[in-house]
Formats: sequence, structure tokens, C-alpha cells
Amino acid sequence: MPAPAPGGAGFPLRPSRRPGRRRIAVAYALLAPSLVLVLAVLAYPLAWETWISFTDFSSRGGRHPTFVGLENYRRLAGDSDFWRASAVTGVYFSITTAAKLAIGLGLALLLARPSRARPLVFLAVFLPWAYPGGVTVVAWYWMLNPPLITSYSVVAADVKHAIDAVAGAGAYAFLTVILFNIWRGASFTAVFLLAGINAVPTELFEYARLDTRGAAQRLWWIVLPLLKPYLALAVFLSFTTAFADLANVWMLTGGRVVFPVIGTRAYWLGIRSGEFAQAAAWSLSLVPYLALLLVLLFRWFDSPEEQSA
Amino acid sequence: MTRRARRLGHGLLLALAAVYSLFPIYFITIQSLKTPQEDVFGNALYVRHATWENYTELFAGSEARVRGYVVLPRVPYLVWVANSAVVLAVSLVVTLAVAILAGYGLGRLQPPGWRWWRRLLFATYAIPHTLLFIPLYRVVVALGLDDSHGALALMYATMALPFAVWLLSAYYANLPREIEESALVEGASPAMAFLRVILPMSRNVLVAAALFTVGTVGNDFMLASIFLLDPSKQTVAAGLGVMDVSLEELVAVAGVNLAAIPIVVACALLARGYVRGLTAAMLEGA
Repeated sequence: MPAPAPGGAGFPLRPSRRPGRRRIAVAYALLAPSLVLVLAVLAYPLAWETWISFTDFSSRGGRHPTFVGLENYRRLAGDSDFWRASAVTGVYFSITTAAKLAIGLGLALLLARPSRARPLVFLAVFLPWAYPGGVTVVAWYWMLNPPLITSYSVVAADVKHAIDAVAGAGAYAFLTVILFNIWRGASFTAVFLLAGINAVPTELFEYARLDTRGAAQRLWWIVLPLLKPYLALAVFLSFTTAFADLANVWMLTGGRVVFPVIGTRAYWLGIRSGEFAQAAAWSLSLVPYLALLLVLLFRWFDSPEEQSA
Repeated sequence: MTRRARRLGHGLLLALAAVYSLFPIYFITIQSLKTPQEDVFGNALYVRHATWENYTELFAGSEARVRGYVVLPRVPYLVWVANSAVVLAVSLVVTLAVAILAGYGLGRLQPPGWRWWRRLLFATYAIPHTLLFIPLYRVVVALGLDDSHGALALMYATMALPFAVWLLSAYYANLPREIEESALVEGASPAMAFLRVILPMSRNVLVAAALFTVGTVGNDFMLASIFLLDPSKQTVAAGLGVMDVSLEELVAVAGVNLAAIPIVVACALLARGYVRGLTAAMLEGA
């Protein structure tokens, strides 16, 4: 930060209609490290990925990718695997998000009520998210897909075969991944929504108690609307895990991905088959959904009219 | 419903929430305390003859060992723990330092279009680093960080930064102006007013940002295994977790579990601050 002007109070801090030039310069100077960090790491990869998705770059081809236009995307649109993976990703996202919101909201409301056990239970609820995911994913792996030698392996295998027999091969693996995602994500959602509930003035809840009949009504008409921005943010964060969390999919299924989501499929194409261009097109196919979600999120979470201060 | 029945129900729900949350962690801890015999013939849900064997194995040195029919691989566990600690510390410091500057610059000084800058930064949260590993690797090589902890710390910092900037800028945006004005009247420089008054006030928000960073970094083992090829440079989760074979070893389970203890202690101490920080950021400006 540059040294302040000698003797003076430096830049005026109260935002005025025409902010001082100096203040703007300082603001951008403070913003610069973040932008440099993010751009240095991500700008080139994003540009590269986009460019490569319009070429025929693969480990089998030459060193220099040639431009093929929309060919990769055309192939994607005609690929039944892609539509299947899209559907699976959609189902995965819907199920995990709905469950995370429901469980998270339940836990948050439970923890919002004062009680003697609350600090301890809060810590317990906080742990699934705070405990390193690299550990808990191993825990779930041992619980649901145990190694061959343990005492409960036979039981787990029986459950697996029973579920796969009913719902099709790979259903059990899919379920494992979903359960882990919900368990970890609901913990974050719960703590986040609890903070949101705390941020709502208590009087509002007092009025709500007078105005509504029954807890269900109160939840629907008062609590949910008040929490809407935080719920929107939770949905967004959930979406990013639905395809970015592929490491967990990988781990829980031991690398045998039978129910591919877009993320695992793209990773597979890139690292195993060397089809870099195809992999890029797969990854980028999610961008429209992401953009849509961001627009909705900013509308609910960051709407200018709410910020009158 | 009587008052007592209601209280009982509430207590039961609390107990259920705790069990649901803790069960997987309990489960894996139980398994890690078992002897190979009990692992095969014991009960899945409890341990009869607890042993620290799996934990002490981790420190038994770097010679390959034979136990039963299994040849245990060389595991430089302490080196990995040190690596994890270094990477975590560096990414924490970088994330917080950079996020504080940006949070103050955007939220407090509010240059034209600050909202859009904030949105832009936040949108990068959705970028999955794991899918970009090929071009990311090129960036890492170009920066001369090939096979170094710096690469990983840099990447972790960009993963946690968007949320941290959002929290801090929201908090700084609507903090009453009078707070630092009184310091300015006393003759302090803006930088001083920030360091002495604003920064200590935002302690809980910083805790929230820091714990979010820890949660994000602790979740990763894939990037670590992609960008750190040298086994002596691995982090704990990547070193023990990625190989399919070692994942099925109780020693590996013990190893990752042991490494989690400091993080759990930190969380236990800071959990209250975490919620308060989130609430503060939301109150001041959602």
C-alpha cells in the first residue's frame, strides 16, 4: 500500500457520488494481487482448453493441433454416451442438491434452538465438512466398498449385488458417490444456513410466530424466503461439486467408473485415451449451465436494490 | 404435545444429528485400531483388542517391511506430514493476505464496477482445476514451479480465494464508516486505521475465510498427486490415498486419520468463530 499523504487524512473514505481518483487507484492496487493470482493460474488454461476444443489435438495426432471448427461439438451432440453422461450428471446434481438442502436446513433449524448439548452437536455437524475430504472419502470407501479381507466384506458385497440387481449395474457405486457427496455437502450447507438464520433479526421470527399457524407454515412463508439468498449460494456450491468433485467419484469407485458423469468422462478421455480435444469439448459443454446458474445466483444473492447502504 | 415430550424429541434429534455426522469418522477410526486378525474375524462396528500398531508402523522408518503376507511399501510419513503442513500454511497465508487486500479494496473503497469485479472473482470458484490439468501443468512449468510445493500452494490459493474475497468484501462493505473515521480524526493514517481497528474487528470473518480454505485444501489429493511426482514431496492424502493398493491397507487409513487430528483440533477451537464470521459477513451485506 502506498504511503499516505503527509499530514492529511489521505483519501476520503465515505463513498461519494464521484469517488476520488486516488481512492480508485488504491482500490485497484489492492485488487491487483487477487487478479494477478487468478489470471496467472487460470487465464491460460481456460484459453487453451477453449482453443483445443476447436482442434483435433490428441496424443495420437501430430504435435501441432489443426483447427477443425465445431467438429468436436458436432460429434458430442451425436454421441449417445454424452447424453447419457449428461443425464447422469443432471440426476446426480438434482438428488445431491435436494438432499443437501433438506438435511442442511433441518440441521440448521435444529441447531438454531438453544440447548445445553448444542455446542457439541454443532461441532459434530461441522466435522464432515471440516474433516479432510481425503480422509473421509477413504472412510466411505471402507464402509461401502470394503477391501476383500474385512469381516463385513461379504455383507457389503451382498448389499451391492442386491442393489445392482434391482437398479442395474453400477447403481451401487453411483449411490455411494451420492451418499458421500450429501454427507459432506450437507454439513457445509447446515453451518452456512445456521449463519444465515443467525443473521435474520430475531424480531422477524417473533412476528412470524404471531402471524402464522404451525411450524410448517412458518417454514414455508417466513424462513425459506428469508434464507433464499443463502439457499441460492448453497445450490451454486453444490453444482460446482457435481462435476468438479470427480476425484471423489474416482476414489469411491476405485477408478472403475461405471456411472460416468461429465467430469469423470472428460478426465478419462484426457488422461487415459489422450483425446484432449474431445475431453475439452466435454468439459466445456457444462459452461452454459454454469453461466445460467451464476446469473440466477447473482440476482438472488447480490441484487443491487437490497444493498441500499 | 407436552413440553417434556417436545424437549425429549429435540434431544433425540440432536443425538441423531451427531451420530449421522460422526459415524463415518468413528467407523474409520475403529478400523484403523484393529489388528489384521480382528480386521478379518472381528465385528465391523467395534474393536475388541485395540492396537496402535497401524499408527506406529507409520513411524517405523523407511525400510520396506513384511507383515503377514503383505509387503508394506516405504512410507516417508513424517516427510509427507511436513509437506502437507508447508503447503497448507503457504496457501493459507497467500489466500488470506490477498483476500484481505481485495476485500478491503472492493468492499470499503468501492471503485466503480466493484460489484462486477467481485462477481468475476467469485465466478472462478466454479472452475474445476482437475479438468484443466494439462494446461495447468504448462503454466506450472512456465512459472518454474515444476514438481514443487509452490505450484500446489498457488493452485489451492486460487481455489479458496473467490469465497474469501466475497466474505471479506461483504463484511467491509457495510461496516459503519464511523468506526475508522474516529481513528482518522485521532490522526491515524488510513493504513493504520485499517490495521489497528478494522482488521482486529474482522477476526471472525478471517477465521471463516481461513477454515473455508482449510476445508478446500484438505479435500484435495488429486491435484497433489498430479503436480507432485516425487514421492518425497507428496502430501499425506495424495501419498497414501491415490494408490489403489495402499488404500486397502489399514496403515494407510491410520495415516490419513492421524494427519487429520491437528485440523480437527483447530476446527473445534475455531468453530464458533466460523459461524460468527459467516453471520457477520451476511449481516453486513449479503
